[in-house]
Amino acid sequence: MKKKQLISNCLVYSFLFIGALYTLFPLFMALMNSLKTNGELLTNVMSLPQQLHAENYTRTFEKMKYFRSLGNTVLLAGVSVTLIILFSALAGWKLCRTKTKLSRFLFGLFVFSMLIPFSSIMIPLYKVTLVLHMKNSLFGLSLVYAGLGVSMAIFLYHGFVKGIPIELEESAGIDGSSSLQTFFYIIMPLLKPITTTICITNVLWVWNDFLLPLIIISNNKKYTLLLSTNTLFGQYSSDWTAILSALILAAIPVIIFYAVFQKQILKGIAEGAVKG
Amino acid sequence: MKNKKNPNRSLLIFCAPALLVYKIFKLYPAVSGIFYALTDWNGINKTYHFVGFSNFIEICGDSYFWNAMWFTLKYVLAIVVVANVVALLLAVAIESRPKGKGFFRTIFYMPNMISMVIGGYMWMFIFTKVLYYMADNWNMKFLDKSWIGNPKYSFVAIITVAAWGAVGYLMIIYMAALQGVPTELKAAASLDGANAWKIFWNVTFPLIGHAVTICVFWSLNSGFQVFDVIYALTGGGPGRATQSAAINIYEEAFKGNIRYGYATAKSMVLFLIVLLITMIQLRISKGKEEEL
Repeated sequence: MKKKQLISNCLVYSFLFIGALYTLFPLFMALMNSLKTNGELLTNVMSLPQQLHAENYTRTFEKMKYFRSLGNTVLLAGVSVTLIILFSALAGWKLCRTKTKLSRFLFGLFVFSMLIPFSSIMIPLYKVTLVLHMKNSLFGLSLVYAGLGVSMAIFLYHGFVKGIPIELEESAGIDGSSSLQTFFYIIMPLLKPITTTICITNVLWVWNDFLLPLIIISNNKKYTLLLSTNTLFGQYSSDWTAILSALILAAIPVIIFYAVFQKQILKGIAEGAVKG
Repeated sequence: MKNKKNPNRSLLIFCAPALLVYKIFKLYPAVSGIFYALTDWNGINKTYHFVGFSNFIEICGDSYFWNAMWFTLKYVLAIVVVANVVALLLAVAIESRPKGKGFFRTIFYMPNMISMVIGGYMWMFIFTKVLYYMADNWNMKFLDKSWIGNPKYSFVAIITVAAWGAVGYLMIIYMAALQGVPTELKAAASLDGANAWKIFWNVTFPLIGHAVTICVFWSLNSGFQVFDVIYALTGGGPGRATQSAAINIYEEAFKGNIRYGYATAKSMVLFLIVLLITMIQLRISKGKEEEL
């Protein structure tokens, strides 16, 4: 019996280790080869770099205008997510606490559109941004993200508020006529757990979204990290050390984010998915 | 106290900002799309004309679009099966052993943090450089394929990368569901002499039905919209052999043709197909969940 247990342990752990190796393989290969010279890379992709060629990084740093692209991405994700949280918390809480025909209708209106795929509204949306002079505007783009993101966030807030006893609000002196001030001082703190979840899922969504910026942003001063990496890939298609160092540079911010907030991220992802 | 008489007024005030952005950037594009699909609007002429259903008639005979649609269907089928099976296997394997839970979970989720454009380019390096090296030097001849250039193999390449990116997310959901299965139930079944395989299928699996529904729904839905992976790996090529529906629509509108009206009509067709299939899926899995 003991032996059987040992064999099954071995099998399970080797399966997991092979999976882990497979998962990390492209990241590791990219990192290792980004530190070689192109000649070294072409002779042997599997060898460790003989010398660390950090100059690949200084080169790409310049080429992809790293800090500008990073700043644009941070700004875009920051503004988008702030708007999504603010707008959805206001709406989601009130929609749940108001029991009228109108509130049911509005909630339905927000929720039904979650089924519409982005590629189906992409072209008319492009037209809207043209008419509103939002092409190449990062702030305009964050408004678009807010418009696309509120449905899901309202749905999550709505569900969360249902679980908060209304007495809590009543005892705090709020009734149906609460003002904005009481909302921020009393309701928002109560919503904190779900706000964290919404914040994390949306930061990741906006940060990693590619198609929308690809359509809206064509001015390279406004490029996000993904857009400048993509352009660099197109320009240096055979210069692998340049490309790989750019890919590592583009991945570093999210890896740091992951390392710091890992617990919240994994918890938030599971919750966001199950409730959605 | 004034608002108390009219709850709808304060409701509208609280909903106003969300409603505004939602209407402008989601609802209006969705509704106006139906109208644009009936016009010959393009990026060149200032004006456009109502052309009735002629866009839709043209779509019926557009073999590039249907090839892309067929490719998308094959992709969705493959990714739903592969990603869910692997994710569930990993989740069960991790949950079945007391050691290393956090470690493996952290690693398997990592690709989900990185955009599929970045991940796709990293894999591009693997497919165009590393695998050839392994084939030549490690005597692994089966790797010596044109992974990006030959559509037969690039389908495998695309699924490999897409699964790499999706498995972690699904695994987290399956793990959360598995943690909700009471251990007493499994212990009881084990006392009754059931083996691990039987316990999984008869005790555990029915209890995580909800997670299966969510995961299949998610992979189905995101599969139909696949863009980033294919864009990074093959760009839809060679020719148009690996174009997904989203790539086909994107190219129709923003590359070369700039036929916005026609591309919008295509996107309506895509929407209807996705809607139909997700409805069927939800109905089937809801029915299954209740049965269990």
